Amino acid sequence: MQRMLSLEQTPPLGVPLRFFLTAPLFAVAAGLLLLVLGPDALLSRWTPALLALTHLLTLGFLGLIMLGALMQILPVVAGVEIAYPEVTARFSHALITIGAVSLSGGFLSGERWLFQLALATLGLGLFAFLTSCWLGIRGSESNNVTLRAVRLALLSLLITAALGIAMLFSYAANIQRLPLPLTDLHVMWGLGGWIGLLVIAVAYQVVPMFQMTAVYPAVLTRWLAPVIFSALTGVALLMIFFDGVYPLSTVLQVLAAIAYLVFGITSLTLLYRRKRAQREASTLFWYLALASLAACAALYLASLALPAMRQSPSFPLIIGTLFLAGFAFSVTNGMLYKILPFLSWYHLQSRITDRSRKAPNIKQFIPEGLARRQFDGHLLSLVLLLAACLWPEIFTRLAALAFTLSSALLLKNLLGAVQVYRRHETALAETKPAPVPD
Amino acid sequence: MPDPIAINVCGLQPPEPLELVLEALDRLQPGQQLIVTIDREPLPLFRILKQNNYDYTSQLRPDYLYEICIRQND
Repeated sequence: MQRMLSLEQTPPLGVPLRFFLTAPLFAVAAGLLLLVLGPDALLSRWTPALLALTHLLTLGFLGLIMLGALMQILPVVAGVEIAYPEVTARFSHALITIGAVSLSGGFLSGERWLFQLALATLGLGLFAFLTSCWLGIRGSESNNVTLRAVRLALLSLLITAALGIAMLFSYAANIQRLPLPLTDLHVMWGLGGWIGLLVIAVAYQVVPMFQMTAVYPAVLTRWLAPVIFSALTGVALLMIFFDGVYPLSTVLQVLAAIAYLVFGITSLTLLYRRKRAQREASTLFWYLALASLAACAALYLASLALPAMRQSPSFPLIIGTLFLAGFAFSVTNGMLYKILPFLSWYHLQSRITDRSRKAPNIKQFIPEGLARRQFDGHLLSLVLLLAACLWPEIFTRLAALAFTLSSALLLKNLLGAVQVYRRHETALAETKPAPVPD
Repeated sequence: MPDPIAINVCGLQPPEPLELVLEALDRLQPGQQLIVTIDREPLPLFRILKQNNYDYTSQLRPDYLYEICIRQND
């Protein structure tokens, strides 16, 4: 008789799960914060309140989910290994959680010790994570397109983190900042580099795999990430050494924006052309995310031709909302509805030693109706957030309430999946294996 | 040598392709081959095969489907 296959020497589910369950708490916190602070938070992109809100989302929600995904789903799905995954996960999760809270607290209160705490924890946590990734990727035999794009995304994270740490250092030590456009570079590398490139890398695998589309065209997967990364590098060098927007810098920005537009349109086309079209919540999240990305890129390109658009104080808020809440948040929200059930199934299957048993149907973990309801909530909150960018007095608190409730519902759905997993895990532990036939 | 087992898992949602391949591997006789036709490169499967001492080859067909040939490592 053949023995059952061992699926994995995978770290326990708790390792990535801690990232996926903590992250929505940050989204809820961001919503509550906006609810309390109200329209004043949206006066400009530089209010301390908005800085706090942004980092609760980028570090707390997006950062934790992306790190959790890199630690587990990429090894399973794309053959990318992280070195010492269990230790790195526990360490970096704890530090980045504390760091995100203290950074936002620092922005809100101005207290220097909070910036110092953020500096120490974020610095250490991100350093540990990046080192672990580098060691893993260096030792990996794989060289698929996802891995190549992941490398560029991680480089972008390194640059973003370094710029952020430099700025934090100046807050923490109360010294004069370097005469460099650090903030603009930090935003550019963080959004256009780290978040954007990582989504692209993961999309190459999870869109065909979980959304049943054809694979991305080879010419796109070969060139898109390197083109974007090179364009950002060019813009950064021009910003640092030439202190202004030269024609070349604008050309490179156009190139990056067009690249993202191409990615958005290609992905939408792949989804539209599926043989078996299913209107699941996760698919709707992808549609929303890609439409937001395309709108964001199109608006950005339009603003390069129409300077009046750029002068409006709402403009950076709209671009930021479309990219963060529309694109990045929707993508990660939707992916969680596929990743968490898949990982739960995978871990349960690996524990089964009795041939007559099977892991539960994957649809049991998160009922489609609940996911769909949460999508509706998220869509509403995005529309309200965009409206709040234009008419903050009327829409800010409504948007904040919708966003808080939607994020809370996401957390509830994820906790439900964990309950299903625990139930089956207990049942497996209690049942004796079937007797082996002679 | 027994005839190979051939399965087609195109168009199925995860984890069904993986489940069907695992079930087919259970039925494999010594020296027998399993040929899997699938519409994307099944990287999670390759990890499992390597870990459980199976040899495999993966080929991209002209119709953009993948053909994976699996046999037990002797």
